[in-house]
Amino acid sequence: MHEMSDLLRVIHTLHWYALAFMGLVYVIRINWFVKRFKAGGERQAATGIPGRTTPKKGILYSWGNVAMPWSMESSRTRPFFYLQFVAFHLGVTAAILLLFIIPLGPGLLENEAVVLALRIPIGAAFLVGLGRMVRRFGDKYMRAISSPDDYFSLILLTVWFFFAFLAVPNSTANGEWHLIGYFLIATFFLAYVPFSKISHYLYYPFTRYYIGKSLGHRGVFPILRGPARG
Amino acid sequence: MKATQEKSEKAQKLIDRMGEKLNRQMAGSLLACVHCGMCTDSCHYVLANPGDPTYAPAYKADRIRKIFKRHFDWTGRVLPKWVGAATVNTDEDLEELKDIVFGKCTNCRRCTINCPMGVDYATFNRMARGLLVSVGVMPEGVAVVSKDQWETGNQMGVLKEDYLDTLDWMEEELQEELEDPTLKIPVDVPDCDVVYSINPREVKYDPRSIADAAKIFHAAGESWTMPSEGWDMTNFGLFSGDDDLGGSVAGRLFESVEELRGKKLVISECGHGYRSTRCEGPNWAKSDVPFEMESSVNTMLRYIKEGRIKVDKTRNPEPVTFHDSCNNARSCGLFEEPRELLNLVCMDFREMYPNRAENYCCTGGGGAMSMSEYTPQRLKSGITKANQLKETAADFVVTSCHNCVDGLADVIRHYEVGMKVTQLVNLVANALVIEKKVAVPVETPVAPEVVEEVPVPVGVGAEGEELPLAGRRILVADDEPDQLDFISAVLEDNGAEIIRATTGDEVLELARKEKPDVLTLDLHMPGRDVGEVFDLIRKDPELGDLKICIITGKPELRRLIYERSVRPPEGYVDKPVDEKRLLVNVKKVLEVVHQDA
Ligand code: SF4
Ligand code: SF4
Repeated sequence: MHEMSDLLRVIHTLHWYALAFMGLVYVIRINWFVKRFKAGGERQAATGIPGRTTPKKGILYSWGNVAMPWSMESSRTRPFFYLQFVAFHLGVTAAILLLFIIPLGPGLLENEAVVLALRIPIGAAFLVGLGRMVRRFGDKYMRAISSPDDYFSLILLTVWFFFAFLAVPNSTANGEWHLIGYFLIATFFLAYVPFSKISHYLYYPFTRYYIGKSLGHRGVFPILRGPARG
Repeated sequence: MKATQEKSEKAQKLIDRMGEKLNRQMAGSLLACVHCGMCTDSCHYVLANPGDPTYAPAYKADRIRKIFKRHFDWTGRVLPKWVGAATVNTDEDLEELKDIVFGKCTNCRRCTINCPMGVDYATFNRMARGLLVSVGVMPEGVAVVSKDQWETGNQMGVLKEDYLDTLDWMEEELQEELEDPTLKIPVDVPDCDVVYSINPREVKYDPRSIADAAKIFHAAGESWTMPSEGWDMTNFGLFSGDDDLGGSVAGRLFESVEELRGKKLVISECGHGYRSTRCEGPNWAKSDVPFEMESSVNTMLRYIKEGRIKVDKTRNPEPVTFHDSCNNARSCGLFEEPRELLNLVCMDFREMYPNRAENYCCTGGGGAMSMSEYTPQRLKSGITKANQLKETAADFVVTSCHNCVDGLADVIRHYEVGMKVTQLVNLVANALVIEKKVAVPVETPVAPEVVEEVPVPVGVGAEGEELPLAGRRILVADDEPDQLDFISAVLEDNGAEIIRATTGDEVLELARKEKPDVLTLDLHMPGRDVGEVFDLIRKDPELGDLKICIITGKPELRRLIYERSVRPPEGYVDKPVDEKRLLVNVKKVLEVVHQDA
């Protein structure tokens, strides 16, 4: 626990404004997405083995896909990638939680277990971030599909994890530069995210909903895999 | 850079139309990609081109996404370079886009099911195709086939009389084969339970599959008919991205079923035909369909399960594997029924891996077989399929798709896989046990007698009987000695006198000198271009009576012949050719009578 400096207090306040800004932009963006683009429908009778698939089952399967690494060949055959994905997103969740815990419930961080529970995923996410940087900069295929935003977002997130890791105990014993760094980047992030690919989670429920609905209606989702080789 | 700067008319139209075409599903897919690269290895083009990232699904998708971002997404308007947004300005830009959306993707949807974000690239790739087509930018083959389908109602430009002739011919073959002169291939019979629609490829290159289907309907005692108009269940709108064409073609078929008051439309084995008719047609045509539709795979399976036909799987003893058509498996969920059927009609069915919705494209999807300019990259992309096939060590690969038949045949030939391609209808017909009604005096109980399957008449009669090709002179042209020997031997054994040629120039010379009745012509031979040889023969008044049967292993070369302004060949046989098909086709070719002759 620490007493906030004036600078940190200002950044804290700014971060709430940034959060509000992000929320506003998201509302506008979802409104644009839903109003500007009409959903296509399907008139045809369902295909596939009757009863095995339905649009509802397809949607649930599609949404649940994130937690079913076996459901897609791309994650099934790359378990390490999948673990990285999990670690990275758990880190993001922990780092975001921290944004609320520090100003609203700093007492929680007096508990060692809470500190560990936040530090482990954030630290792991930091390492994954470094690994992803190597892949994005070093892999020809990744470079070919990367925009400046892709590089920037990844670097920024990884640096943020670094500061978040240090910020977790909310201690100022060695100064508050790490807290300032953590909140400053977070503030910038909140304002930047709506314009970047980081807002992918906004569309994720929609894309997976529609593909699930369609492929559920068409007898494809949930995917049925045949007997294993051999 | 201003998005509106010096745009060609076509580029501007494309952008405007993109705005009209986008729906929420597509926009979501365009917005959601995080460039994670998870889809990269799912594409057969990528696997065949290691080190070339321009084949990666996300890279290809970005060529379309950048336009979307630049014109429809504010992030791209505000920070275009930052988020990878860019516009198209010139006709050259559109040509480049064309080479990607038509030449580097078969719309197989394999990357779609491997994207954690649910990005459906294949769907917006099809949209991009449609936009390019709407401004007249497309591969030549797409233009030709689309035109045929708009004008003649079928994508191979088959004329009504040729279609009906082929049905008559197959009816006669079946009557002869089953020794049943009452057997019919019914046309335009109203109020039937089943209206059967086919792929024009069956009329042009594979009429035997029509006969096989007819045999099955006959054996099942089905009340069925084929329409004389609106019989094509294929739909080039799926490939060209042209929803108007898609709606018009599907609508024609639906109308013909309604006019005949058919209860169910059965769609012969064709992946894109099934998808276009069954799954997309009602959406494109914007109308609900008041009758049932099913794939002939389901129909055949049902007949066996209901005991309406009997099959003997020992007649198909060879090891077979199954290739799932992308359109059937990944877009319509048709993958268990063909396997169930295969296990009922074949002794040795073995899976290929991966399979079902995870199978790789045959390389001929998305209309790729009609885009000859991309043939080299298509064949190169077939290595994954070739390896999948080889691994099964099967003798036959079965597929429920005519496109896949051609695509696989090409891959098999190119990579020397040593396998034949066939369809379920052929295997079911081959396994069919038909009870022949023996003509007996009235009031004597009719005892059904199980007869062995009679192959298509090969004309090998009893001793002393005249051979079917007796007195015919046939010029066999092929540069592969094995093929030349095989074709010559089969025809010779059936009574024909054979003249052999191995180059284009020889064909021309011998045709003029020997005046044969029939020329069997390989499309790929050294010397003078075969298309030119064909043209010269057709234009030579002295060779007006010469009938030509194309025998080729390179379906993409068909355009050498069929796009010429002269009379098309009388017959066509795909390699690898077997004795039965060769004879049936040569006999048919000999029967063709031209009105001008
Ligand atoms: S897997 Fe999906 S999100 Fe990832 S690069 Fe491919 S299309 Fe984009
Ligand atoms: S749809 Fe098929 S061919 Fe096209 S990019 Fe995806 S995997 Fe490759």
